[in-house]
Amino acid sequence: MRGTDIRKRLLLLIPMVLGITFLSFALMHLAGSDAVLQKAESSGIALSQEVLEAQRAELGLDQPFILQYLNWLGRFLTGDMGTSYVSGKDVWSTFLSKLPATLLLTGTSLLLTAGIAIPLGILSAVKQNRFTDGLIRVCSFVGNSLPNFFVALLLMYLLSIQMPVFPVIARGIGWRSAALPTLTLAIAMSAKYLRQVRAAVLEERNRDYVAGERARGIRFGVTLRKSVLRSCMVTLLTLMSLSAGSLLGGTAIVEAIFMWDGVGKLAVDAMEMRDYPMIQAYVVWMALIYALINLITDVLYHVLDPRIRLEGERS
Amino acid sequence: MKRRWIRRGVGAMLLAAVLAGCAGQAARESGEKDPPVRQEAVQEEKTLVFGDTTFNAENGESDINPHHDSGGWACIRYGVGETLFRFTDQMEIEPWLAESYERVDERTWRITLKEGISFTSGRIMDAEAVKECLEALVEANARAAGNLRLETVTAEGLTLTIGTKVPVPALLNDLADPYGCIYDVQAGVTEDGIVQGTGPYRAVALTTDTSLELVKNEQYWNGEPKIDRITVRTITDGDTLTVALQSGEIDVAYGMPYISYPLFENDRYTFTGCSTSRVIFGAMNFESAIMQDPAVRKAVSMGIDKEGFVETLLGGNGTPAAGPFPDTVSFGGDAVRAPAYDPEKAMQVLEEAGWTDTDGDGIREKDGTPLTIRWLTYPSRQEQPFLAEAAQAMLKTIGIRVEIQNTANHNQVRTDRSAWDIYVSTFVAAPTGDPEYFFAYHCLDRSGSNDGRYHSDRLESLAEEMEGTFDTDRRAELAQQMQQIILDDSAYIFFAHLRMNMISASNVTGLTAHPCDYYEITADLDIRE
Amino acid sequence: MKRKLILCSALALGLVLAAWFAEALCPFDPYEQNFAAALQPPSWEHWFGTDRFGRDMLSRVIMGARVSIFSALILVGIISVTGTAIGVFCGCSRRADAVLMRLADICLAFPGMVFGLAVAAVLGGGIQNAVLALAAVSWPKYARIARSQTLAVKNADYIAAARLAGDSFWQVIGRHILPNIAGTILVTAMLDVGTMMMELAGFSFLGLGAQPPTADWGSMMSEGRSMLQLYPWVIFTPGIGIVLSVAIFHLLGETIRDHMDPKNRTGRRRE
Repeated sequence: MRGTDIRKRLLLLIPMVLGITFLSFALMHLAGSDAVLQKAESSGIALSQEVLEAQRAELGLDQPFILQYLNWLGRFLTGDMGTSYVSGKDVWSTFLSKLPATLLLTGTSLLLTAGIAIPLGILSAVKQNRFTDGLIRVCSFVGNSLPNFFVALLLMYLLSIQMPVFPVIARGIGWRSAALPTLTLAIAMSAKYLRQVRAAVLEERNRDYVAGERARGIRFGVTLRKSVLRSCMVTLLTLMSLSAGSLLGGTAIVEAIFMWDGVGKLAVDAMEMRDYPMIQAYVVWMALIYALINLITDVLYHVLDPRIRLEGERS
Repeated sequence: MKRRWIRRGVGAMLLAAVLAGCAGQAARESGEKDPPVRQEAVQEEKTLVFGDTTFNAENGESDINPHHDSGGWACIRYGVGETLFRFTDQMEIEPWLAESYERVDERTWRITLKEGISFTSGRIMDAEAVKECLEALVEANARAAGNLRLETVTAEGLTLTIGTKVPVPALLNDLADPYGCIYDVQAGVTEDGIVQGTGPYRAVALTTDTSLELVKNEQYWNGEPKIDRITVRTITDGDTLTVALQSGEIDVAYGMPYISYPLFENDRYTFTGCSTSRVIFGAMNFESAIMQDPAVRKAVSMGIDKEGFVETLLGGNGTPAAGPFPDTVSFGGDAVRAPAYDPEKAMQVLEEAGWTDTDGDGIREKDGTPLTIRWLTYPSRQEQPFLAEAAQAMLKTIGIRVEIQNTANHNQVRTDRSAWDIYVSTFVAAPTGDPEYFFAYHCLDRSGSNDGRYHSDRLESLAEEMEGTFDTDRRAELAQQMQQIILDDSAYIFFAHLRMNMISASNVTGLTAHPCDYYEITADLDIRE
Repeated sequence: MKRKLILCSALALGLVLAAWFAEALCPFDPYEQNFAAALQPPSWEHWFGTDRFGRDMLSRVIMGARVSIFSALILVGIISVTGTAIGVFCGCSRRADAVLMRLADICLAFPGMVFGLAVAAVLGGGIQNAVLALAAVSWPKYARIARSQTLAVKNADYIAAARLAGDSFWQVIGRHILPNIAGTILVTAMLDVGTMMMELAGFSFLGLGAQPPTADWGSMMSEGRSMLQLYPWVIFTPGIGIVLSVAIFHLLGETIRDHMDPKNRTGRRRE
């Protein structure tokens, strides 16, 4: 029963991969520049139309769109994503060498977000409508309303100049260099999610069983630990996977500011130079990673929440 | 059944956690190095971090291979490569890797190399090595081939004989161009674009758009380099550069936003700067219908307040320009006349040419075509976007709408002449103190960067004359006439010559800005603890 | 409770009106440059100071409200309407469901900024393209909400009753389903206005948002970022604009939600 369920989800991943790759390929195709044109332009030599056509034919760029896509997909599956228009290096290996840095940053930011949002969200819910709650909510409003490049600048100013605690520019990929970019990403993110944590806890709190336990004289703190949090797990999980999604893309700006040598900065540089193969690699892989995270989240839902499991069995 | 699935699920999670942990571990191992190494470094070796906003692919400096794009700039600036000849502070040419030279006849030069110089690869730099490098250069770099026009190069011991196809009066100057950095061709270029030169520092690692690691060249021929390790960091963002210098993470900053200067005008920092021939200028596109109208070009030239731009947006770090050359050379500065800033007259010119605002939207039209010009520029030279926005407002007052396209991808866009009307870039006009270079680069039929396809018969014939003229006074005279031609045609607008500044922490010594902007990291560079 | 709702609505309305009538409210021409008055700190003449071109910051912030608020509102309008339409349609038709929801999954798989970068690389910068890019990846959220809500009410007894009474398919959707889900969509949309303003500001930071000289808060902040230490008013004044309007739309969204949620009201009463 459960096995088929997960297998079904894994099977769904196939149209997903096809869809993602197709969409990205089509998008880059729209750009109207191809490897042949790019090479001609960068060498600065004017080539005749025939020569261009001949080169296109050689690379299979004269074939119908769908065939080109299938060719490309075939190469993609074997890890060949072409060479960069700018550096002439292999796209896939360049991308792969910078991916860990971004994943690390995503991971640390996610942890810090959870570390801030969950306790503060619960606290805010427990102290509903009191001073603490108000303060936390005001902070969350402000934190949520600041563009992250602005937060980055403020943090740089405060933590690198006023109190020189953390470095501004990343030197290698280390914990110390990760501090400022992580903090920047986590501030906006946790400001957003702590409100949702608060709402989730409040909703649970207003359920009948909580009132029942209270009537039986069990302190809310105990109920909170024993039942409420467990029931909130699904919400938290959803939040985490959503934030992983916005982090995967959101790191781009922060990486560019802090010179963090990850794929986000790579993508921003590539975008400025119209380095399409590189952008394509970034788009496809980020989407695939996110799809994978969603899949894992889905599986975890089933493990964690009996209600969803039952629903799944019923349908 | 259910149980097993849960266990598998948990197993998968654990696996994921372990994988993540490994990634983290690896990252920590590579990254955690930095604090301890830095501390040791303080005791054992001298290090310096050089922050630069321009060391990137956007500027054609994706690596330090002098034959590739503008890689030579990085190669020479960061002390990896050296050229046969160099410029003194007065912009006079002097031998560098060369010991002496002799012009045998109009087309033949004999250059004797210094003895005892070797590449960082270990190979001795002799005439054969230089020959290989020059031949590779003209093979790989169209611009160099066009300037040098080599016919034969022969090598014998330390004597190099160069024969050119036509007389090339400025040959020595051209050899001093960054592309003329001599490196060991046999040792080759690494995949990352590292070459083995003769300079005070040896490149050991390079990541495009990120950093270049240099170590001291122990065998350097011209004094002992004083710093053990130098990191050149690409910091494209001017604000990050500002904060990084303030926090002490970088010791030297190149490309500081003018607006941040007041933060460093105190005794903890040192400025080194000088006027350069780096000119910010616009090339008109002669393949664009609107720009083919001389009245439009003239009005644009008269409609922009260069003084205001220099004083306010450059914070006085420059001088308004008339022609391509600064007043440090005899044929530069006031030697030529450019149309003065005069919005009234600009409007009159447009009016007379039939450009009038018929629909009252503040923008002039002619035969139903609105007077809109597309202004192409790029952001890595921080003053360019400001100039674009200032010009946009200034030209609007005389009835011209300006659409700004500010893109790092300008090098590709400018080759598409249907996409822009004026291309504003920054260029070192007389790096060699010689006028031929600018025209050969931008204004002639054979120029590789004649982006607007400008053509003038008189200019071509004067350029031809200059090519064969060795007499300096005559060259200056020709230069003056040639500048006046392009200005009278309103084919180019020259906005300002920029002052170049480097800011360093006050414990950095031996850093001197050079008028040609080529030499930054030298054997003199030192840092006090 | 009610007073709060009125207050928030009034504030939001005020913001939108201010953006609409921006031209009339500006004390100076927001695009007129005056080098002699560059980088002046806030004063009686220039309440918010001037920027490096000598333009009046107060006028630019007011003018910027138009671009920033309207582009966010338009964006949210597009995604909520199309998303809801698709979602309701999917909820009612099994065949459409299979195809469209897969498409939604695929679009949802692209993290917003990632897709935005790709679209910008293809189309180039500009606020319309930024809106387009964000719209392409944001509609599925609404489609999902609308779909699940539709599924939830579809089988309710009163719908069946309406069908029996002879209402057509479209009448059922228009009379019964849409009114039922409108509240949730509205709240989500209100909460999204702020988020989208921030995303658009991020695009502006990368030079993909509004092009000069257009005043919008995101690009004003990004242009003024070098001035944080020396001329802070250039970056803080548009910043205040963003913070205030994001907060107002958020508050409005939350208040409407609280107002509509019966559970919440009973919960409060119990306390």
